[in-house]
Amino acid sequence: MDPQAASPVDDRLYQRLVDLLASGEAERGPGDPALRPAAEQALHHEARLLDDRRYRDWLQRFTDDCVYWVPLDPTGDPRGQVSYLLDDRRRMDDRIGLLETGWAHAQEPPSRTCRTVSNVEAWPLDGGDTLARCTTVVWEYRKDRLIPFASRNDFVLADLGEHWSVRFKIVRLVDSRGDVRKFSFVL
Amino acid sequence: MTATNDLDNLVQPHRVHRSIYVDSDVFAAEMSKVFGGTWVYLAHESQVPDPNDFITTRLGLRPLIITRDDDGDLHALFNRCAHRASTVCQSECGSARRFQCSYHGWTYSNRGDLVNLPFADGYPADFHLEDHGLAQVPRLGLYRGLIFGTLNLDAPSLAEWLGPAGPLIDEFVDRSPSGRIEVRNCQRMIYRGNWKLAWDNAADGLHPTFAHRSFVLLNERQHGGARSLSQFKSSPDDTGMYGSDLGNGHMFVDQRPGLNQSFWQTQRPVPGREWYAEQIEQSFGDEAADILEVAPGSMVNLSIFPNLLIKGNHLETVDPVSVGETRLHTWVAAAAGAPDEVNVLRMRIAEDFPSLGNPDDLELFERCQEGLSIAEVEWVDMSKGLDHEVAEVTAGGVAKAPVTHEGPMRGYLRAWLELMSSEARLTTARNGEVSREVAA
Repeated sequence: MDPQAASPVDDRLYQRLVDLLASGEAERGPGDPALRPAAEQALHHEARLLDDRRYRDWLQRFTDDCVYWVPLDPTGDPRGQVSYLLDDRRRMDDRIGLLETGWAHAQEPPSRTCRTVSNVEAWPLDGGDTLARCTTVVWEYRKDRLIPFASRNDFVLADLGEHWSVRFKIVRLVDSRGDVRKFSFVL
Repeated sequence: MTATNDLDNLVQPHRVHRSIYVDSDVFAAEMSKVFGGTWVYLAHESQVPDPNDFITTRLGLRPLIITRDDDGDLHALFNRCAHRASTVCQSECGSARRFQCSYHGWTYSNRGDLVNLPFADGYPADFHLEDHGLAQVPRLGLYRGLIFGTLNLDAPSLAEWLGPAGPLIDEFVDRSPSGRIEVRNCQRMIYRGNWKLAWDNAADGLHPTFAHRSFVLLNERQHGGARSLSQFKSSPDDTGMYGSDLGNGHMFVDQRPGLNQSFWQTQRPVPGREWYAEQIEQSFGDEAADILEVAPGSMVNLSIFPNLLIKGNHLETVDPVSVGETRLHTWVAAAAGAPDEVNVLRMRIAEDFPSLGNPDDLELFERCQEGLSIAEVEWVDMSKGLDHEVAEVTAGGVAKAPVTHEGPMRGYLRAWLELMSSEARLTTARNGEVSREVAA
């Protein structure tokens, strides 16, 4: 697919994101133990692709209608609020393209990262998708500093197994309302 | 001799001394003489739209609560109990008629009056409740919804302080069909550098070509040429873009002459661009193009000294933490009265340059602070355009200089020097003693 194709983001897609983090979601019971190993495998692989900075391989794992979202206020509606970022595939491609120019000073030298993914739970969604939730700490090392980015992440996985793919990735930073150190890599 | 005794030598016409960025005595003096001695932006009216709304912020390092009382009047209360100094409000924002200190129960109205003193027996006979309200900012000023405050009763009027910056604020606000902006939420970033590094950058038309090379190249490769910032790709001074020293430290950059298409055509594609534009086109037909022009940023950078950078669709506050650390709070403004679709696009546009371009600015601020640590290499050069004759002055008194010149920087530092050299008497007020001026 052309990574620069027209944006699939519309009102309906925003509503799906809002519903995903709606308050009733917190009352979801324990995850499905049968789904968990495959979800965990996908999440671990996704973390490894990012730690290895294989951004093109990472992007290929996302569906055409994907969204990568780092909200400031996960309870808010992104139609009415600004986020750290809310990317469709085109802007994800831009974000990677920016690094590929070789002139993204904030990534010179590049960050080295190490992700810990834990507390993985998974549930089946209508239509065959899988909802996977986890807690993640991204340790970023750059220029003599080691900075943790702690978050609760939500993934909607369109496929599992060998061909796992991601429809939505949401990174809810615990300190999103506080003063965040600039990040110029993919969380 | 300490740096604060030698200010005139530190700010020279063509260069400034490193100590204004690294000396903690200079920083301490700034926190009273600049952030206190003149008008400082505090918040926007739309953040406290209803009676009893409040939002917390800071004036320099001082924690503040901006409240609207049930008569609709605004107050800027110091978030400090009159008793033992504990902060009395812990929330970012909300609605409250009363603020009770959790330590010993002293309770204040949102006008700052002490309304309940628990176990009131035992205080001296001359203890009067009205003497023990929350201290507050004694002068408040309002300009097109922007709330300013100063602790200096001798400061000029707000209108006088803003000068030619006032009509430029009007232009920014009047992009909204209703003539009002509505401030939504903010991105908060922190960098390891002095607050003035953000000021040096705010009207710096020399840096985009280099500092934002990745952004310019990306747009050229993936979106073909005339997109956001492409006007800085080479020879920006040939485009007609200009910078201005507006006086009193305020600065202006006009990027609009550098565009050869509409704002909307120049805007990088953001998520939802196609669907939302189509909705607007279906609903508004021939007017759609004009309506879509409101979605992208203003293409001007208007900096209101000492702490407000108006750029894009943002009100960005420069919030010093220490001599070597600064917070930037980037509040996004929605266009009140515009169709919802325009403001949805504004939210995505507000994430675009801030997440793709600003990290490079912050990286460079941190590199500057690192370089400034060298005590023996003392000077920062700001001489570009020093001998330039101003070719054109607009009707509003705005002197135009080529956009890569460093005149605006020299201008804000002159204003800084004047404030730092003054002996302003700072004061606080109790409820009833506050003066309020509406400049527009």
